[in-house]
Amino acid sequence: MIESIALILASSLRLATPLMFAGLGEYMAEKAGMINISIEGMMLAGAFSAILGATVTGSPVLGLVFGILAGVLIAFVHATFSYRLTVNTYVIGLTLNLLVLGLTSFLLDALDLGSAQLSKFEIPLLSDLPIVGQAVFNQRWPAYLLWILIPAVWFVMYRTRWGLDMRAIGENPSAVDATGIDVLKRQRQGLLIAGAFAGLGGAYLSVAEVGLFNQNMTAARGYVVIAAVIFGGWTIKGTIAGCLLFGAADAMRLALPALGFTFNAQLLIASPYILALVAMVVFARRSRAPAAYGQPFVRGLA
Amino acid sequence: MSTQPTGAPAHSAGAPASVELRGITKRYGSIVACDDVSLSVSRGEIHGLLGQNGAGKSTLVKILIGLAQRDAGEILLDGRSVEIPDPLAASTLGIAMVHQHFSLVNELSVWENVTLGEVGRPDAQRTRELVRSIGARYGLDVDPDARVEDLSTGERQRVEIIKCLRRDPSLLILDEPTSVLTLAESRELFTVLRRVAQDEGKTVILISHKLDEILTATDHVTIMRSGRVVAQRVTAETDERELAREMVGRELSKWVAASALGDLDALVDPSLSSDPAMLAPVEPIHEDEFPFRLRITDAYASRDGRPLLQGLSLDLRAGEILGLAGVEGNGQQALGDLLSSLIELDSGTVEMDDVVLPTGKPGAMHRAGIGVIPEDRHQSGCVLDMSVAENLVMSTVGSVARRGFVSRKAIRANAERLIEQFEISTPSPDTPMRQLSGGNQQKVVLARELSLNPKVLVAAYPTRGLDVGAIEYMTERLHDAANSGIAVLLISTELEEILTLSHHIAVIHRGAIVGQMRRVDVDAERLGLMMGGQEA
Amino acid sequence: MTITSTPPTPANTRAVAQTSRWSQVLTTLLLYVVSISVALLIAGLLVSLTGASPWEAVQAIFQGSLSDAAALGLSLDKAAPLLIVAVGTCIATSAGLFSIGQEGQVVIGATVGAMVAIYLHGPGPLILVVTLMGAALGGAAWAAVAALLYYWRGVPVVISTLLLVYIAYQVVFYAVTQPWLLQESGQNVASPQSDIIRNDAWLPRIGEYPGLNFSSLVVIAVLLAVGARIVLNRTTWGFRLRMLGLNPKAARRAGVSAVLLGSLALMISGAFAGFLGGALLTGGSHRLQPGISENVGWDGLLVALVARNNPILAIPVAFFFGVLRAGGGFLASTGVPRYIVDVVTAILVLAIVFPPAYQYLRREIRARRLARALATGGAA
Repeated sequence: MIESIALILASSLRLATPLMFAGLGEYMAEKAGMINISIEGMMLAGAFSAILGATVTGSPVLGLVFGILAGVLIAFVHATFSYRLTVNTYVIGLTLNLLVLGLTSFLLDALDLGSAQLSKFEIPLLSDLPIVGQAVFNQRWPAYLLWILIPAVWFVMYRTRWGLDMRAIGENPSAVDATGIDVLKRQRQGLLIAGAFAGLGGAYLSVAEVGLFNQNMTAARGYVVIAAVIFGGWTIKGTIAGCLLFGAADAMRLALPALGFTFNAQLLIASPYILALVAMVVFARRSRAPAAYGQPFVRGLA
Repeated sequence: MSTQPTGAPAHSAGAPASVELRGITKRYGSIVACDDVSLSVSRGEIHGLLGQNGAGKSTLVKILIGLAQRDAGEILLDGRSVEIPDPLAASTLGIAMVHQHFSLVNELSVWENVTLGEVGRPDAQRTRELVRSIGARYGLDVDPDARVEDLSTGERQRVEIIKCLRRDPSLLILDEPTSVLTLAESRELFTVLRRVAQDEGKTVILISHKLDEILTATDHVTIMRSGRVVAQRVTAETDERELAREMVGRELSKWVAASALGDLDALVDPSLSSDPAMLAPVEPIHEDEFPFRLRITDAYASRDGRPLLQGLSLDLRAGEILGLAGVEGNGQQALGDLLSSLIELDSGTVEMDDVVLPTGKPGAMHRAGIGVIPEDRHQSGCVLDMSVAENLVMSTVGSVARRGFVSRKAIRANAERLIEQFEISTPSPDTPMRQLSGGNQQKVVLARELSLNPKVLVAAYPTRGLDVGAIEYMTERLHDAANSGIAVLLISTELEEILTLSHHIAVIHRGAIVGQMRRVDVDAERLGLMMGGQEA
Repeated sequence: MTITSTPPTPANTRAVAQTSRWSQVLTTLLLYVVSISVALLIAGLLVSLTGASPWEAVQAIFQGSLSDAAALGLSLDKAAPLLIVAVGTCIATSAGLFSIGQEGQVVIGATVGAMVAIYLHGPGPLILVVTLMGAALGGAAWAAVAALLYYWRGVPVVISTLLLVYIAYQVVFYAVTQPWLLQESGQNVASPQSDIIRNDAWLPRIGEYPGLNFSSLVVIAVLLAVGARIVLNRTTWGFRLRMLGLNPKAARRAGVSAVLLGSLALMISGAFAGFLGGALLTGGSHRLQPGISENVGWDGLLVALVARNNPILAIPVAFFFGVLRAGGGFLASTGVPRYIVDVVTAILVLAIVFPPAYQYLRREIRARRLARALATGGAA
């Protein structure tokens, strides 16, 4: 019993890690009022490019870098179209997702991709702890980056001017514009960072977790990440909790049948989306969305 | 025409003026917004910039804060010629402006708002202390850790002013700052401005179209009309009559003039103005002559737990204009929304001719015969991307349709009739509403609402933002409407507008009517007290 | 000090305006040519990556989509679903609601349709009609969830419709894996799918093999597009809907119930998608499968975008997308992965929205630069 709990825990954490990377970026973007639909494309591009980079260079670490850059590239296209040329962000996001899905599927067929996987790193002593030891302290090494990135994101959002600008933009972009800050530029920057995080998440999925790339590998995990940020009530803590919860749901889906339980797999797969909707309904009053949530900034409109 | 300042700014010959404008000209297409404007303000002075809407005040200020660029002329700060290509440059040069509409982020704290837009790491502790010290220096008391959301309008303005003063500007510009304030808050503001100018040696430019405000708060005044400077005076050496004459430039119907100019005293007591033409045109109404039309009883309404209306009761008679006076944000908007079926009452009733109307049911008030000219007419009174003709049938599209299909012919016929009847100037009925001037947009809304033969007409700030000609037009139309038996509810924060038009005056405060009086019995002091919330 | 601008006379302003309008049209055209060329160039490069020749790929697409009557019929068949989704999208967008959940509404429509078609007994044509109606209602109900969440709790329509897509996918999957629901009957059940629906309830086809032959859905789609245009532009309902979309506040003041009309628009949009789901079931695969929608919900959205929410303009755009989809199937025979069609579709969409957006931005920048120039010029 204890063994299976430890196993499920390890698998939950493993499945949640890519979500948490992407979630941190999405959190920042959403704080600035953006709903970054193209996160799915960013993650998928990241996953593909990581394996591509690892195959080409022979180094999974460089693969990780490739993945991040791919996410940034998608973010750059999205930012240029939606936050410079001001074309509807959802339409561009969806178009980019279809583009990346088509492109990675095409290239997967056209190219000969190998497999590559980053090594595990077992933290001595701590990994011997019962139940949590192996789950938390014996992971592919990039997972430990989260211990740095989570506080870093908090610091950036709550202790730097850039973070203040971003939070203010999410609430009242016109007021921020009036103080002389370039709102669209900040949003572009936010999107690029979200792209880097999503690319990292996707890369982790392929080059750390699985070791190779499959067609449509992310399979709507990007939307799960959006759901996690909403579920988390636009807080870092909540976002991470959401990612862990949805990772656990995924782990259950895989683990329960093996353990002899029968549980509705479809319900587990759909649970992030259902929980996000429920969260938006239930917490609507308590944990408020940014006031300008999902509304494009147009100069001169108060 | 460039007028030499007659009551020249009193700066000593040696020191250069803090701000000097020479021959500023600005055109928008064929319209000259500023024509060879020159003025000079010395350090430590509060300078009034007086003019009607459209006189060129805002353009001039936009040029000063870098939001617009002049076509010709020169700007000198402390005798040095400067360029102000954008707001950032203005800020670097020490020019700061308190906007009419606040640019604060409600969800952030006061100190976060104050530091927003600066460079370098935000330092909470230092900014908090700064807010406190500026507060102490100028009498702008506000808690740096409070969330802006929780502050009153007056407090928010203080934050806005602190935001400006925090950059230690040499020139502070205020654009119609009292429109959102109570009389008491306005007085406090003027005290603050006095300190800013005299104790701290800063220069203040106060933009206003209210005469009494200019007379109490400023040292010098520049009067603009149609883009030109028409007069400059030492405030102490002038009076409202002279200012009024210069500002309007022609003899008007006295009441309209008084309204346009904010000449409150003249409106309240004609004898004070020593002008024989200033006689009350608003005939007293005999109470029992007209039947009650609209009756609101004990109305309570709220949004997100915040109260909007708190036991408001109001009776409206056919054929009378009832002016609803009050400081902005005391439930006027909620009342307008109620009568537009936009909000529902928690309790209380609205009756029309003794029939109870359902509240918050789209179109119900409208069908009962209530027409509304909303306050933000181009935002919620019309659809800018539809044509004039379509806007004229917005609420009655059923009347120009057969079996659900709209008849273009009928729409056009209706439009042509109303355009002629209401003297709307538009190239064609098919012109997009967006291309019309503000005055004409207002006429379209008025024409549409009156074309429905309403029993009640609600007019919110019907003359705000209009020039004198358009004000005269609106005044006439509203009087005509009342004379034809329509009950008119006039909602305004401008006492002048209310005093000009109304037969009866009611005062709204915190979502309830705190007092009511006949126009002929108006006592300015009592009115002011009631608007401040005191029972009088 | 000099005054830099001389007041223009009416005559030369008109001349200036005319030349600038001409040059503007030219620049727009040029921009379209350039951006579409770049898009095609990228596609060509990708094709060469597989070792195939881009020209052969184009020929293959042409052969599969337009070369003869059969191919043309296939293109029409592929275009009709996109058009129906796009027209529904136009209606929701007219009301100012941005729904992106059509994909989910399509599969829910197909699921409800399958239940009706499999469990209901009666004459075939009647079953067909009831199936399609049930599918439309299913799609409308799925959209109604988003409408409810929006008007009741303010949940953004974009988010709720998106999340509902992925819930819908699982609903379908669940339905076709449960024996008591829609799972295929019989002993050896391999793939998750339902039984084949009775063939007298299939959506009829028009024309005969091997000549021009296409689904009656094509006719329905065009009728729906024309109908939607008329309703939007000519009826009081459409008038109110547009008013709501352009200025919700003014519309509410004019007596339009945003909740009722907005919900209705969203549900109609959902009904279009749901109806399509039913049509894909009765006119395509004839059985419910999780992949029944073939992404038409997503691609239909792009059609509406490129057609700028004009149902009539959506007809040629949908046809063009249909040609690409039809050609894509044939492309596989040349050794080029068929996914290239998805790539081309997406980059063409970007290429088409780029020019107008770019020109808008350039005008803004030029205006700002002019202001700066005047500022410095004023001092000269």
